[in-house]
Amino acid sequence: MGTKEQIKETLYNVAEDVLEKLAFIFSFPEDERDQMDYTTAVATRVSFAGPFSGALVMAIAAEALPELAGNMLGIDEDEETTTEQQHDALKELINVVCGNLLPAISGKQSVFNVNMPEIVPEGESIIKDDRPQPVSVAKMDIDEGQCDLLLFIDGETAIQAD
Amino acid sequence: MSINVLIVDDSGVMRAMILKSLRMSGLPLGETHQAANGQEGLETLSQHWIDLVIADINMPVMNGEEMIERMKENTEMRDIPIVVISTEGSKTRLEQLQQKGAAFIHKPFTPEKIRDTIKDIMKLGGSDGNQGTN
Ligand SMILES: [Mg+2]
Repeated sequence: MGTKEQIKETLYNVAEDVLEKLAFIFSFPEDERDQMDYTTAVATRVSFAGPFSGALVMAIAAEALPELAGNMLGIDEDEETTTEQQHDALKELINVVCGNLLPAISGKQSVFNVNMPEIVPEGESIIKDDRPQPVSVAKMDIDEGQCDLLLFIDGETAIQAD
Repeated sequence: MSINVLIVDDSGVMRAMILKSLRMSGLPLGETHQAANGQEGLETLSQHWIDLVIADINMPVMNGEEMIERMKENTEMRDIPIVVISTEGSKTRLEQLQQKGAAFIHKPFTPEKIRDTIKDIMKLGGSDGNQGTN
């Protein structure tokens, strides 16, 4: 596993690649901006275990969900998607990001078990007080708002300080 | 000849993406069936004539690996070509799948990748010189 700086770069690269290829959404890294307002965002979370364990959380502006789901389903712009479809799209998105991220950080020989992604219930804080702070955060701007990707790793000491 | 396809993935959005890619591929599609996990997949396989299975790995109830193992134990199902479409990035797991005879496509995928992999595994030929790479 690399330095925090390398992990962050990998997080940005994988997120940009998957957003573009899976959802046809172009993202722009905005590393200097503040973290999103997570109380108004829709968030999805996936936990994993392997050489290291932790969770990946993606928060995205609620306004971006119709385009995200519509693009993935390949339907016309004037057709509406259901909340269920939007959540499904978001969960599959983080699933693919996580699946591509872990070997990029840990090496292709590593075996991880990735759990089922879940939507973070409204009102539940994505950064829990009893949890360590994220190891890395990628902050991106997309057409309809913002998107943050937070990587949590249990027992963060395995990572070299930068 | 038309190909009856079963798509097994827990994400309905992903199933729709795969189906769209198949429709764009120019492959002779017959019936298409969908299942949300390995168990539903096996049920569909026992009820319908399926020529090709496209399956995810990570699914609730029954994952793709177990579904493939059950297919291999069943004389009616063991010869059906299988394409796994997954985020799996571990070499170890990919080699295990290939030993079971499944082809593999990594998510995110392109429609061309799906088309070429299916042509290859079903020996349909006629693609643009991508044959015979082994
Ligand atoms: Mg899945």
